[in-house]
Amino acid sequence: MTISLGESRLKSTPKILLCLAGLAVFALLPWTMGVYNQHVLIVCLFYTMMAASWNLLAGYTGQVSFGHAAFAGIGAYVSGILVVKAGLNPWGGVVIGTLCAAAFGFLVGLLCLRMGGIYLSLTTLGFSEILHIVINNEYEITRGTMGLQVPGLIENYSKIAYFYIFLAGALITLAVVYRLVHSNAGLNFRAVQNDERAASALGVDVVRTRLLAFTVSSALAGMAGALYGHYMLLITPHLPSLDQQFLVLSMTVIGGLGSFVGPVIGAFSLEILSEYIRAWGEYHVLVFGLVALFVARFAPKGIVGIYKAWRGKYRAATA
Amino acid sequence: MELIKGVGITKHFGGVKALSGVDFKVEQGTIVGLIGPNGAGKTTLFNIVAGAFPPTSGTVHFEGVDITGLPAYKICRRGVARTFQVTRPFGEMSCVENVAVGVVNHQPDASRAVWTQRAVECLRIVGLEGFESTEARHLNVVQKKKLEIARALATGPKLLMLDEVLGGLNSQEIQDAITFIRNLRDQLGLTILWIEHVMGAIMQATEKVIVLDQGRILMNGSPEEVVNDSRVIHAYLGD
Ligand SMILES: Nc1ncnc2c1ncn2[C@@H]1O[C@H](COP(=O)(O)OP(=O)(O)OP(=O)(O)O)[C@@H](O)[C@H]1O
Ligand SMILES: [Mg+2]
Repeated sequence: MTISLGESRLKSTPKILLCLAGLAVFALLPWTMGVYNQHVLIVCLFYTMMAASWNLLAGYTGQVSFGHAAFAGIGAYVSGILVVKAGLNPWGGVVIGTLCAAAFGFLVGLLCLRMGGIYLSLTTLGFSEILHIVINNEYEITRGTMGLQVPGLIENYSKIAYFYIFLAGALITLAVVYRLVHSNAGLNFRAVQNDERAASALGVDVVRTRLLAFTVSSALAGMAGALYGHYMLLITPHLPSLDQQFLVLSMTVIGGLGSFVGPVIGAFSLEILSEYIRAWGEYHVLVFGLVALFVARFAPKGIVGIYKAWRGKYRAATA
Repeated sequence: MELIKGVGITKHFGGVKALSGVDFKVEQGTIVGLIGPNGAGKTTLFNIVAGAFPPTSGTVHFEGVDITGLPAYKICRRGVARTFQVTRPFGEMSCVENVAVGVVNHQPDASRAVWTQRAVECLRIVGLEGFESTEARHLNVVQKKKLEIARALATGPKLLMLDEVLGGLNSQEIQDAITFIRNLRDQLGLTILWIEHVMGAIMQATEKVIVLDQGRILMNGSPEEVVNDSRVIHAYLGD
């Protein structure tokens, strides 16, 4: 049977080899650069986790949540507080932070079940704002805008070690997303996104499908946030902020909503770009947001979509 | 044995009384036509049987079990499949994937190879071979109706409910479609409840016809009885 079912599955051997080679080169990269560039790479990997997990929710099930940065915040603060106040091992903190983010994701998903489109977005936005207010005001526990100082994940601080931790985190995130999207559940995700009524008429449990996506996506954001906190050694309310939310959204949309590599491309290009335009202050998020709006309107599949269309034309021309 | 039975089914949409106390049943292994003028409530009856929404009052029994008000996916998994009058393809998914959604919720353990094979088979049954990797939004209206049927078959139904699947076909194609639908019953053993405006097709293919008018059962009987009944002629032609 020669039916192409999503290109990623076909011609797989050369493609996998190419990916592994690329990964090997990438894994050696930090040895060739200074600490500043190492830091940029680590942050790129953090945003890869954030964008890939948001894409699972927004790109594959069509639930445009504005609470993703908030879930990262939950992961970071839960882990940080447990480590600082209860003396937990930071790795244990990351695990519990991830689980807490999953639990909150499940609850918010439950709240949003009957909602779609703008209502879901507004509810998650509200959740995000509430969390922000709580963190700012519970000064005793969270240290408010001062930020919570937390210990690192490893004894001897080293950017290279953190790079590998974040690389592992990003690979785990991508693997979870890939497995889910290519499993039978992935078919249900896309069916629900395309048409909920038709999906349920074909036996899809829409409630379960949406909750699964919400919970897994939030857990992955929680893990990213917890790792980030223990890397920066300081957790501030800027992590669960709308700034971060819109940055992650822009990365995913510009890279390619609903595509597997899109969020990775978006995370790297926008993070690296924002290092160059840091001088503009927070305006760069605004600029990215505007670009994302433009992309969503004129090239809804982002950079990946543009590339695919271009390659299609090229092939047609040379065939 | 009756496969499906509705008693006193009533549905109000605000002030609109779409159905008022409808009683009906479909015997196992039969092809039953459901006809009636526009707005009679035929599609609404399908929606209630399939669980798209609950009735205002009344009950539906499938294989003797009360399924009234169950969510659509549970009713589907029990063996009731339906097509949509206005087709609802998953536009951005390929035809194989569209059909596979039905397969994987019927056989949750199916591997990719298994569901692909089954989906390809369902597409072949309805005559959509060659469109396996085409995105559903690129199909024309007739092809989309075929895809609806392929997806419904993929859920492994006992009862298949077809809502106006002949639209857009010429007379030869209608003949083929009649043979096709009879084969679904004769070869796959399905029971079929079929809404159709093309009276000739209903006359040829069905054993029994239910006539709805303004949300009530006007009559039911053999196709011959129905087409010759003055009340039916009156309902269709008006005063
Ligand atoms: N979801 C809904 N909300 C409000 N009114 C509805 C809804 N669905 C159907 N109706 C109304 O119920 C009545 C019956 O509609 P239905 O679609 O069941 O008719 P039908 O017999 O299938 O007609 P047709 O032959 O045109 O398909 C109509 O007056 C219709 O406007
Ligand atoms: Mg109708």
